[in-house]
Amino acid sequence: MSGGTSRAISLRYRLLLAMFGPLAVLALVLGLLGWVLISDVVRRTNDRVLGGALGAIAETVQVERGEVTLDLPPAAFGMLENSERDNVYYRIAVGGALLTGYADLPAPDPPTLSSEEPRFRFAQFRGQRIRIAEIRRNLPRIDAPVVVQVAETLQNRNSLRDKLMIALLIGECVLVGIVLLLIRPALGWSLRPLSDLRGVIEARDTRAAPDLSPLRTGPLPSELRPLSRSFDRLLARLDDATTGMRRFTADASHQMRTPLSVLKVQVALARRGRSDRERSEALHEIEDATDRLERLLTQLLTLARADEAGELPPDHEIDLKELSQHVISRRIRQAIEAEVELLLECGEGPFRIKGHRTLVFEMLSNLVDNAIRYNRRGGTAQIELFADPGAIRLVVSDTGPGIATDQRELAMSRFVRLQGERGPSGSGLGLAIVRSSAERMGAQLELGDADPGLRVTVTFTVD
Amino acid sequence: MRILIVEDDAALARGIVSLLRAAGHAVDHVAGGEEALSVSATEPYSLVILDVGLPDIDGFQVLARLRARGDQAQVLMLTARDGLDDRVRGLDLGADDYLRKPFEVEELEARVRALGRRRGGDAAPEIVIGTMTVNRSTGRVEVAGRAIELRRREWSVLEALAARAGQIVTRETLQAEVFGFDDPVGSNALEVNVTRLRSKLAPDGPAIRTVRGVGYMLDRS
Repeated sequence: MSGGTSRAISLRYRLLLAMFGPLAVLALVLGLLGWVLISDVVRRTNDRVLGGALGAIAETVQVERGEVTLDLPPAAFGMLENSERDNVYYRIAVGGALLTGYADLPAPDPPTLSSEEPRFRFAQFRGQRIRIAEIRRNLPRIDAPVVVQVAETLQNRNSLRDKLMIALLIGECVLVGIVLLLIRPALGWSLRPLSDLRGVIEARDTRAAPDLSPLRTGPLPSELRPLSRSFDRLLARLDDATTGMRRFTADASHQMRTPLSVLKVQVALARRGRSDRERSEALHEIEDATDRLERLLTQLLTLARADEAGELPPDHEIDLKELSQHVISRRIRQAIEAEVELLLECGEGPFRIKGHRTLVFEMLSNLVDNAIRYNRRGGTAQIELFADPGAIRLVVSDTGPGIATDQRELAMSRFVRLQGERGPSGSGLGLAIVRSSAERMGAQLELGDADPGLRVTVTFTVD
Repeated sequence: MRILIVEDDAALARGIVSLLRAAGHAVDHVAGGEEALSVSATEPYSLVILDVGLPDIDGFQVLARLRARGDQAQVLMLTARDGLDDRVRGLDLGADDYLRKPFEVEELEARVRALGRRRGGDAAPEIVIGTMTVNRSTGRVEVAGRAIELRRREWSVLEALAARAGQIVTRETLQAEVFGFDDPVGSNALEVNVTRLRSKLAPDGPAIRTVRGVGYMLDRS
């Protein structure tokens, strides 16, 4: 595409433009060459006839008793007769004296004339252009050269030349016209593989569940193969994305079903409970299941937000120190219940980054939640901030069991819970949210050892 | 009836255990597939409630291995997945029934009862032995039109004996069917329950005979 907002030119028009210019120039050049060539040929053939007539007349010039005589042969003039009724003029002069003919026919300069070859030239005579053939004859005992001239007007020559030129021009026009007319069918024929390709593609999206396998086209022209390959690559990426999405939805619904089942069972137990203890136990379970569902829902929404395609809302100035304090105040109750000490360590600021506040908040919130949840009683969960040149590092470390090196990639996948159901309750989405949010903001995420425990480092670049 | 619950979600397992215990069953719970296989190799479960999504080996594999070694226990599959494929696959592998999460509690109970009846080869909810009628759906027992109030264990003993009325049920079988492995069982707990049951059925109900050194038998007439 040539681009921008200007409307694209149709292929037919492009071809028309691309071909018409060069064709027109070519036709013009051919016309000019034709003109030169045709004029030359017409002049030569007519000159030959004129020369023949001149020869025939010159032959009859004789010396009879010291006098120059001639006998004009009618056949010589017959040769010059034509359909255009050109006027024929002649002049025979001995030296400067006219022997016969038209005295005012432009006289040549005798010394320059040859006696072997007739000379031809154009001249103006009685308001008309004429062609003169002239020759000199040297007669015995006559001192002065005899000059014989035959001339004709140019109607025949011009009309012949014009006819040939018109034929040439008509030929050229027909050729250019046919080429231009053929563009449309030729284009249609050339583009048929493209419309076949389009047919294959359109057949796809009529189906309810989109088929994202590579296109099954017949053999394609080499020009279309890159297009079909890029389309297949796009399909493959789309397939990955939808498969991921489908798996995510399936996993998400799977995750919701279990706490929902718990709710149903415990509600039934609460309703039937015979003692206060049974009922309060059931209510406790209901509370837990509701918390689980709520947390799952919040995390799913967060993840969906972090995954959301398209532009992020405008960046905010975020003070990581202030945000960390905010997260800690929100998590402190959870930390006290888990008997985990929650700390914030930061040196000299400022710790300002540009980013999406909700994403950073959710990321930090999930990291702190993990640090409390996967910890031991009496352990610590610590947020540290470091301002490096060009970057700000956010480090969250805990004193829990940590994650083995070969498990770290897996730990960031969705719904993966390394400790299974026997570990602390969770949805398996925390680190997935952290990863998605970091990717979204172009921050680097690194899982490491806190010795013992897990140390998660998020590096934000700042300018 | 003795039931094993194989479910990795601790909260759900606790709920189902309470539910089925309240219905008079002896219920055990394990969270993993391997554990389920090793436990069911030694304990005579009548019914296994098997979750498909387990952390170690999935429910289908557990089922396949159970069936491969000839375990005849009824299997009720629980799954959080939607697909028809899962259901078909489970049933093909030898599951007896199938329930999708989240399920209605009443449905789970009804299916458990239905599976329990099928175990005796007799799917009718009522067993009539002489003057006694045992309704396995409602848990009601009547002797000569008189309703009998039974405790949980007594019901389990009666259910186990009634399903095989006229046959000797060994002491070990009865013990295993009536008590889960984490039930606190005294050495004479079974005898105590049998004795209490016997006195509740008397004088006009069927007699429970003690076959010394072997087990117990409920008279047919």
